Amino acid sequence: MDKVTSAVRLPKDRSIRKGKWIGARVQRVEDPRFLTGSAKYVADLTLPRMVHAVFVRSPHAHAYIVSIDKSVLPGLGKTAFAFTGEDMREVPALIDVVTLETLLKTPQHSLALGKVRFAGEAVAIVAHADRYIAEDLAELLGQAIEYDILDPVPDVAAASKTDAALLHPDIGTNEVYRETETHGDIDGAFKAADQSFSLRFHHNRYEAAPMETRGVLANYERPDSQLTVWSSTQMPHFLGSIISGKLGLPAQRVRVIAPEVGGGFGQKMCTSPEEIVVPWVALQLGRPVRWIEDRREHLLSATHAKEQYVNLDVAVKNDGKILGIKGEFIGDGGGYSFNTESALIEPALAAKAFPGPYRLECYEETVAASLTNKSPAAAYRGVGWTASNAAREIVIDEIARGLDIDPADMRRMNMLDADELPYKSITGQIYDSGSYKESLDKALDAIDYPAFRAEQQRLRGEGRYTGVGISCYVEQTAWGSDSSAQAGTPLPSHDNSTVTMDPGGKVTIGTSVSGHGQGHETSLAQVAADGLGIDIADVRVLHGDTLTSPYGLGTYASRSAVIGGATVARAAADVREQVLRVAGKLFEASPEDLLIEDGIISVAGAPSLSKTMEEVAFAAYWDGGLRDEEPGENHQPLLSSTRFYDPPATYSNGCVVVLTEVDTDTGVVKLDRVVVVEDCGTVINPMIVDGQVHGAIMQGIGGALLEHLIYDADGQPLTTTYMDYLVPTAMGMPNMEVHHLETPSPFSIGGIKGMGEGGQVAAPAAVANAVADALAPFGARITHFPLSPDNVLRMIGKIA
Amino acid sequence: MATTKHAVDLTVNGESAQVMVEARRTLADVLREELGLTGTKLGCEHGVCGACTVIVDGRTARSCLMFAVQANGCEITTVEGLDTDGKLDFVQQAFTENHGLQCGFCTPGVLMSVHSFLKNNPNPSEEEIRIELSGNICRCTGYQNIVKSIAAAAAASR
Amino acid sequence: MKPAPFAYHVPNTIDEALAILGNDPDGSRLLAGGQSLVPMLNLRLANFDNLIDINHISGLDHIRIESDSLVIGALTRQYDVAHNDDVRNRLPVLSNALAHIAHTAISNRGTIVGSLCHADPAAELPAVLTAVGGELVVQSAAGTRTIRANDFFNSSFTTAINPNEVATEVRFDLAGGTSGWSFEEVARRHGDFALVGVVIQMTLEKNAISDVRIVVFGVAATPQRITDAEKRLIGQTLNDATLDQAVADVAAALSPPDDIHATAQYRRHVAGVLVRRGLLRALEDANSSA
Repeated sequence: MDKVTSAVRLPKDRSIRKGKWIGARVQRVEDPRFLTGSAKYVADLTLPRMVHAVFVRSPHAHAYIVSIDKSVLPGLGKTAFAFTGEDMREVPALIDVVTLETLLKTPQHSLALGKVRFAGEAVAIVAHADRYIAEDLAELLGQAIEYDILDPVPDVAAASKTDAALLHPDIGTNEVYRETETHGDIDGAFKAADQSFSLRFHHNRYEAAPMETRGVLANYERPDSQLTVWSSTQMPHFLGSIISGKLGLPAQRVRVIAPEVGGGFGQKMCTSPEEIVVPWVALQLGRPVRWIEDRREHLLSATHAKEQYVNLDVAVKNDGKILGIKGEFIGDGGGYSFNTESALIEPALAAKAFPGPYRLECYEETVAASLTNKSPAAAYRGVGWTASNAAREIVIDEIARGLDIDPADMRRMNMLDADELPYKSITGQIYDSGSYKESLDKALDAIDYPAFRAEQQRLRGEGRYTGVGISCYVEQTAWGSDSSAQAGTPLPSHDNSTVTMDPGGKVTIGTSVSGHGQGHETSLAQVAADGLGIDIADVRVLHGDTLTSPYGLGTYASRSAVIGGATVARAAADVREQVLRVAGKLFEASPEDLLIEDGIISVAGAPSLSKTMEEVAFAAYWDGGLRDEEPGENHQPLLSSTRFYDPPATYSNGCVVVLTEVDTDTGVVKLDRVVVVEDCGTVINPMIVDGQVHGAIMQGIGGALLEHLIYDADGQPLTTTYMDYLVPTAMGMPNMEVHHLETPSPFSIGGIKGMGEGGQVAAPAAVANAVADALAPFGARITHFPLSPDNVLRMIGKIA
Repeated sequence: MATTKHAVDLTVNGESAQVMVEARRTLADVLREELGLTGTKLGCEHGVCGACTVIVDGRTARSCLMFAVQANGCEITTVEGLDTDGKLDFVQQAFTENHGLQCGFCTPGVLMSVHSFLKNNPNPSEEEIRIELSGNICRCTGYQNIVKSIAAAAAASR
Repeated sequence: MKPAPFAYHVPNTIDEALAILGNDPDGSRLLAGGQSLVPMLNLRLANFDNLIDINHISGLDHIRIESDSLVIGALTRQYDVAHNDDVRNRLPVLSNALAHIAHTAISNRGTIVGSLCHADPAAELPAVLTAVGGELVVQSAAGTRTIRANDFFNSSFTTAINPNEVATEVRFDLAGGTSGWSFEEVARRHGDFALVGVVIQMTLEKNAISDVRIVVFGVAATPQRITDAEKRLIGQTLNDATLDQAVADVAAALSPPDDIHATAQYRRHVAGVLVRRGLLRALEDANSSA
């Protein structure tokens, strides 16, 4: 909308000390333990007297629970333990914290109480010292539950029928939210338009499916009233606070540890009901309880994601200029408006991010969500934005085809120029900086776009159908207070890192951003090493344990590089000052005249005057004479600092281009090339950035071509194994060509922007547009994902 | 039903072990729970994901699809048997140099598959690597750096 | 996801296995490679009181050429068959089909005979057996009998083997003369079961088709031969008219199921596409063998 000239909070210390580590392709320091099998995930942890918990899950989509007969269990209360929703009645239900006046709330009991709202909902939990026997018991108990079956509500259309069964009768509707907001003169835009184009698009429901399923181990030590919970979570401190609140335990008595986490992708950022139930059972039994989700359970009951109906009407001039867009975003929240961000998690974020890299001056956004008998919808990499980006980029291609404009030109005409940034979008998102057109041009150069078009024409003459798909994206990152507010889901941010140098001159970092495959231990060590002028081998990063890490929100939404990097940089800068003050006393020199290089502190211009970091650190702790008697900055020996950072929002960007060939006889889509241009500002470790791009692109391709959580008309899930829920394998993945642009953020410390989601946001549309482009001679239109062979043959009318 | 236990003799990573287990206990669970070798992972327990891949008598097998009783008398290699006193072997080394892992959960199974694969095919093409790797699911890397790591390991072994 | 309890038996001979099986034929299951059975046990989709592990019985692991047959023992692993030179030379359609099946760790344990006996309607091997012809050799306490391929597959996951019988080997017919084959399938991912697949075995005499078997799989409870098309193609050459007719015969013969991966219409349509491609490829193969 407007170029932003002021009013953005800029940090005073905007730089990160950059030496030999930041920007280097540093091998990951955490790798050896993963490569040798010594890394411990929750399932690898065992405690004495531990019992194995197994959940009994509803076989029905929608039913009242009439009775549960625990007496069928042999050894009940002795060797076999079982608890139901009734037993947990006093434990407060989980609820979302979204503060929108008209959003209806649907509290979720951790074990279903009285009613089940999706097949797979946890109804009871059984525990036994032997996991196999625990499963036998769960099967037995499952047969001893009587249900009164209700009409199912399998999808959004069914949810809004006047005679639909109500999932939550107390709120009187299945639609928990519907609001429309208008920006600019939208009616005027449509009046001024030469034409309007429409898209009715159903984005599929799929999920993160991390290789490590969920899992919780809880141990309550009664003498100390101390609860320790190991959970495969992205947010250990946050989970600790929730558990403390729900179970009525003082916060200092709840320790949460995220050990190794085998992938999260956003799915492990919410509070799973199971994360409340398992600790509660540990409290009841006074014994350690471990629950490891199996894959079927995972596909049934771990949170789903991404499903939306996106309806677009676009007003355009004949030259391709977009005058205004009406967008309706409807989420399918599943059985409960889940505690992460409610059922609005998909549609609300979609609506706000919808403008992307384009100049949009009139916009009407309608956001709605309904509840259905499915596993609840929550976060997954690129929350809301995947469907939003897909719909927007697909409709741009359709308009370009309709107006006979090249899709790249159509984008350029409507795209923001670099000199328009910073820019406040029509939905209030403040794009700090970017390289929108540059990334598009670079991607098209990489494939030699004109040559591809010529070859495409030639091949069509041979009856072969190739296509190119372009998808441009803006990726909101640096998820702190500002970013979450701009996304429309305000949440105060409070992340910290502590950097401490010990008397041996080595550094330990405790950080609130908690890694699960992103290589935090390496990238944050790189930041600290440059900050202190030492080797990364002398830095150890601790994360994921509320006892050793300062409070903070953990890792999600591409926030850790910006927030973790800055908090470590700030704290390391403090420690550097502390070290230099001590060294200054040792050398009788001014700290400003001192240098640190490769762990050696020396006086500028007098290199013979030098000491090792170890010598200086040792002196700081052990040479009492260096300390001031009176409290002041030289009073305390500890070389340590804890720093906080709540960044302004930053926006990364990029472009994904896919080349495909479609077999119009079988509907099989073959991806020939995937080219990615990404710009995330200052890069800490390009090797890790590349890896994030690869993974995100694959997940996007998975969603576009394969992954689909399917329910039948009775609300029964049909994709409950890895034989039915299809994730990409190595054979289906093309080689990805990743190119980099580096436009540092003018807002964030060190110019870091954060990344990790753009690939998943942009890849589906790139695939879809490539397929639609290949099939343009057939007049094919994309209406829903995934683009299965069956879907493709329908698009071109080969089957009806 | 009575749960008869069977004596099972295994040689795992060169060390012999005897366990008494129910017939229904999978090899994966016995390795992980009875022998404490938790490097072998369970990702799906129905043979699709490959995280539990180990080498049984020189060939890869899904340890979730084998009962421990079936491995009686067998020699088994797990991920814990690859390094030498903490020194990474050539496959592990190639993976760290080429960023062939992120969350690490699929990694043990991948490493076992790769070992067996390179023994049979020391000079694989990218397509052969991808076909072989299709038996192991990874959700983090998009496979790209795994493929690169395998090619690098193959080159290093020549 | 752990299996329910079962009693485990490890016979060392066929006779021992048959004796154990005889005690409780309906409550027992044979365990060879286990790559189809154990997932079902883990998921508790199946449950047997007795598992009879036949892996320790000697004499069941062999690949032999016997006059006009390729003989494969009940314990011979798919991996070994896929990498066997005799199989590659004499029955390349089998080698080729195996390249579409599962992954190394699975084929290292999974057996050819086990897959045939499992009789998954979307599986490749039953279709190959149906197309090339052959027989299963099965043994019971009463003796040995053979079951011809055309009589073997009764329905989804159901064969003509009785609960008290053990399959000991499969014998694939080896075609002589100027013959060719083709294997075509569409799967969502490499290594997955087919949405639809086609196996064709063709023999030529004087440039005309003298014998052809067209088997479509993934479209019915068992591999389905398109006998109308087979009959009509005898004595013909392949041209637009005969190919169109074959495709029409395919469409008429099939009433495939819908499932989450593809609809019936898709399967019917693509079966025709693959039959057309497969006939041409089999012809090409036959001509190159001449």
